[in-house]
Parts: sequence; C-alpha cells; structure tokens
Amino acid sequence: MMELFFKPKSVAVIGASGTPGKLGYVIVNNIAGSDFSGDVYPVNPKSDEILGYKVYRSVTDIPGEVDLVVTALPTPKLTVATMEECARKGVKAVIIESAGFAEMGGEGKVFQQQIVDIAKKNDIRVMGPNCSGIVSRDIVTSIYPMTKKVPRGNVVLIGQSGLLAAGMASDIVENESLNISKVCSFGNKCDVNENDLLEYFGNEDDVDVISMYLETVTDGRNLTRIAKKVAAEKPVIFLSGGRTEAGARAAMSHTGSIASNSKIVEAAARQTGMIMADDFTELKDFAKVFSTQPLPKGNRVAVITLAGSVGVNVSDLCASHGLELPGLSAETTEKLKDMFDTPVSNPVDLYFSVTKIGFTKTLETTFPDALSDPNIDAAVLILAGFEYTQEAVQKKIVQKIVQEVDKPVVVCMIVGYNKYKNVIMDEMGKDLPVFPSLISGVKALSKLCEYGIRQQKTEA
Amino acid sequence: MTTAQILSRAREEKRTVLTEIEAKQILGEAGINCTPTVLATTKEQAVSLSDEIGYPVVLKVSSVDITHKSDSGGVKVNLVDREAVEQAYEEIMTSCTAYAPDADIEGVAVQCMSRAGTEIIMGMIKDASFGPVVMFGLGGVLVEVLKDVSFRIVPIEKADAVEMTGEIQGRKLLEGYRGQDPADVPYLQDMLVKLSGFVDANPAIEEIDMNPVFAYKEGAVVVDARIILSE
Repeated sequence: MMELFFKPKSVAVIGASGTPGKLGYVIVNNIAGSDFSGDVYPVNPKSDEILGYKVYRSVTDIPGEVDLVVTALPTPKLTVATMEECARKGVKAVIIESAGFAEMGGEGKVFQQQIVDIAKKNDIRVMGPNCSGIVSRDIVTSIYPMTKKVPRGNVVLIGQSGLLAAGMASDIVENESLNISKVCSFGNKCDVNENDLLEYFGNEDDVDVISMYLETVTDGRNLTRIAKKVAAEKPVIFLSGGRTEAGARAAMSHTGSIASNSKIVEAAARQTGMIMADDFTELKDFAKVFSTQPLPKGNRVAVITLAGSVGVNVSDLCASHGLELPGLSAETTEKLKDMFDTPVSNPVDLYFSVTKIGFTKTLETTFPDALSDPNIDAAVLILAGFEYTQEAVQKKIVQKIVQEVDKPVVVCMIVGYNKYKNVIMDEMGKDLPVFPSLISGVKALSKLCEYGIRQQKTEA
Repeated sequence: MTTAQILSRAREEKRTVLTEIEAKQILGEAGINCTPTVLATTKEQAVSLSDEIGYPVVLKVSSVDITHKSDSGGVKVNLVDREAVEQAYEEIMTSCTAYAPDADIEGVAVQCMSRAGTEIIMGMIKDASFGPVVMFGLGGVLVEVLKDVSFRIVPIEKADAVEMTGEIQGRKLLEGYRGQDPADVPYLQDMLVKLSGFVDANPAIEEIDMNPVFAYKEGAVVVDARIILSE
C-alpha cells in the first residue's frame, strides 16, 4: 500500500489552483517539476486548465484510475466530503495537507475521526492531516516551491512536522547539503504513522539512512520491534519532541513514580540501536555523517590540526563523548619523522610541516598516513577558512583521501573569512560532513562510532 | 495457590492490590527467588510459624487496605525470640488499627530476616504506548534521590538485561565497595529476563515493585514485593 504514496501512476490534486502562490498551485507545480511521469488530474470546480493539465470538477469525474489523491482544502468539512468521493472512486491512498483537525481539538477532532472512519470502512490509507506529504524525485506534494530536482539519494527524513519538514526539504534540495531520497511529513498521523514508514523504508534497498522526528509515539511496543529490525540493517536517527520528565501517570508503585516518558523513549532508543538526536540540525547532520562516511570499527580518533589549542579542546571533547585519541604506531611515526620537528603525536599538529612545504602538500602526505594507521578508526580534521586551505579544498584532496583510506572523517571549521569558510561549508559540505563547531563534529562522529561498534558486536 | 487462582480471587474481591504474600507467591512461581513469607492470623500462629522459620524474623501487617506498611507502624524487624514476636504482633495490630480504623487486616506476614546485601530495586510499569517496561536500579537512597535506574521495553533479551545493569551511574557499587561483597550481576540479569517473560505472559498485571531485592555474592532474594492489577 505504501507504494501508492511514493510510486503512484496517477495523482489527483483536490483544491488545485491556477493562481501562482496559492497552495493548490504550488502542489501542482511541484508535481509538474518532478520526474512524475503518470497522469496528473487537478480538481477544481471552477477551472478548465491548470499548468497545461485538464481540470476535473470532482474526483469522481476523472476518467481513469487514481492511485493517489492530494488535498489542500480550506475547511475540514470539505476534506471529509472529498474523502467520501475518494471512497466512491475507489482511491486507496490520500494525503491530507490541510490543518484544522485533531491538533485543534474540539470539532477538529471530530472531523479527523470521520476521516478515519471513512478510511477504515473503504480500506483507504491516509497520510496526515496537517502535513506536507512527500518530497522526492518522482513526486513532490510539498507546499514549498522546489527550486531544483530532488536528488536520488540514500537518506530519508520522516516526521510529524508539516511546515518544518517542507522547509527542511526545500533547504536541503536548494543547498545540496544532504543526499536525500525522500522527505515525508505525516502530521497528525491519523492513519499512516512512523511504524508504517520505518518498515517501508527499512525494506527499501536504496535507502541507507533514516532520520525520524516524532512528537508522539503511536505504538511504542511495535516501534520497538520494527526499529530494532531496521536499525540492525541501517542507521535510524531519532529526534523525540515533547519529552517530559514528569511521570505521565499517578502511579501506585515506586517504579511508576520514577518512569517518565523521556526515560522510556530513551530506553527504547538504546534497546533498538536508534541514534538519538537532540535537535533538527543534528537530525540532518547525523544523517550527513552516516550517509557519506564508512562505519568505523572502533572509537579511536586522530585529530588533525594546525593549532595546538584547538587540539587540546578537541581532545577534551573526544574524551567526554567516549572517543579515544591513541598514539600513532611506530611505523607511522617513523614514516612521518621528517614532517615534524618532534615525533608525531595525537592530535597531529601540522604547523611545522605547513611552514616548510605548505598546506596542500602537508595534507597530501601526512593525513593519509595518520588515517591509515592501524591504531586509528576515524579522524577529525580541523580546517581554517583562510586562503592557504583553498587549494586543497578546490582539488578535493580530503575527499580523495577519505575515499582511498576508507575510514570516516568529519571536518570542523572554527575560524576564517566568510568568503573562504562558505566555500568549505558549501562545496566541501556537499561531499563531506563539515561542521561549524568542534563540539558538533565530535558529537556526530561519536554517534557514528557508537553505531559502528554496535554493528561489529552484532555481526560477531 | 497458583498465579491464576490468586488473580481470579483478587478479581472476585474487586481489588487491584495484591498482598505481599500473594505477590511473592506469584513471583516465586515465575522463578524469581523471594524470602519465604507466610500469613499468621493469630498471635499464636505467628509464634509457631516463627519457630518453624527460625529467628530472627520480620513481621509485617497483611492488609490490602494498608499500602504504606512502615508508616502505619506495621513492620517489625529483627525479632529474636517468641516474646519479641508476641509483643510485635500486638504492637502492629494496635498501631495499624489506630492508623486505619476501617482497614481489613487479615493478620501478619511472617518472614525470615534476610541477611543484608546490595540493595536493588526492580519493577515493571505499563506505558500507554510502549506497553510493559521493566526497571532496574540500586535501591534505597540512590533510587529515591538520584533516580539512578534503567528501563527497557518488554520483551527483553539477556543482552538488554546486561545493558540495564551496566547503564546505571552507580554500577561500580555492584562490583563491591569498601569491603562489601560484589553483587551477583548475572543472577540479577536473569531475574530481569524472568520478570520480562512473566509480565509479557500476564497482561492483567499493571505494576510490579520488587523493593528491596538483596543481592549477594551468589544469588539474590526479593525481600518486599508489590503487585498492582489492571482496573
């Protein structure tokens, strides 16, 4: 059934509009701009043609089969009426983007229940209400205009938020900051919920990383079961909103008085191997690290820097995030002896070498050896946004080394001129995880190591 | 009585709280080691049961209406002989009747005085979304003040139980501290797996407290237990 949402052969847009700027226009325009190759049926009682598509008076007037219906109608009452029509037409998948349902309480709740009842009776799957649906190469139902083609990437973002999901999707597509495949926002999840989507994307071979945002957990017992299965195959990054410390119940037992919603959600994440993110940036950043970097076999990190003080700070952060900084092997130390005034240690301080042979050459000679060292599982590379680093950035030297050595690297950048920093952030950031602070890079790497170690254990 | 009999009797009596004796009976049937605890409905019976169990003993008021046994003066520990048991019985009855005049008191629970060990708390609650969840922590002050506990969603495997005992801040205390014996951690992990299996098979149970559990160098024993049934 989920296929009907993501790979429909025909789609109808209820509330379609010919007026640029209106939601019903943006949705049709987004579908037109995607690679969707099936039939598009805008529905509007007052128009004849929208963006070159023939317009129909109602869903039931459409001559062919309709796989998917997308609605963005102004009132819940109209939406319920449309659901009835969809049932008559035999539609099996509906995305309801309009708000004004259970999230409003009162009457909205009643309308949502009516939708659920119609859906159940007629075997219709419903995504939403109060969502922005799907952003993908093959179909876009989002209410934000897409400026570029959505990549056919390896990351999916799924979440309850409507507006933010749409905003994040547009941001990622425009800035090419994450190799996404799909963004799916399911709002009030009156029917389709996180468990359906986790299971679906868990089985999709071209999806390598799943990032998920939830405000409520629909069926935690099932989520635990599904997430455990999926997270054993591919990383599931999880941001849980609305976590409260207070126990949600007036418990009779001591156990009940200690148990809180947040503790139980965290326990479920640990139990299943999901990776907890603490904010939306992390949801995206962790996905970047997991989708671009190979999994490390352990937590031993080399820190590559030009400034001793930065190395000290990174060392401290690594320690507090469960990462180790071992010394390099005798072989590596011997091999690199001409590059350093004193024998190489970890953090690897490139300053001496850079003053002798320049940054690009130093990076090319020192970094691969340090990263290949048998004592090292991953690296944190500190880059500065100054002119001297630009040649290496333009030549994509770091990318090449990561590929050749096949160990994960995160790049952190803390100083520089914006004109150079932006190049590192934007250009290098397309291929590699680049962080604007040390702590964000170290934390993301620690999550990658944690998952890598867990995978090693389960494979053993 | 078997678990099924205890549960159906409680249902008939329209109560959701089991007595300590019932709770330990049920947990015992699930393979969880509890201090033998028997009901005495008279002072004389309390004495003869104490003789059988062997001194020192503990007497606790047995009443489904009194949940805070200590607050009501319903717990007397370290009773070393017959006289002490007789006196304790009378004191418990007087104090509990004064504390809760309407309470239905069936008698006292007599149990042997367990040797002190590392104090552990284990339990189970049902979450509206996640269903049954098991908890592990260090008992006493550590659970009261620091809430140093770990949770897992039922059903759990041995690997989950290993994480649960390893996850608490005070895990070093399980290894033995200042000459105290270490706790039999693998035994505790097995208890958690048994608890998980038990609650998974008994959906009528809403909450369980095993507090305290005394953990020894070898094995562990549930000293006090509460079971709450679903409405």
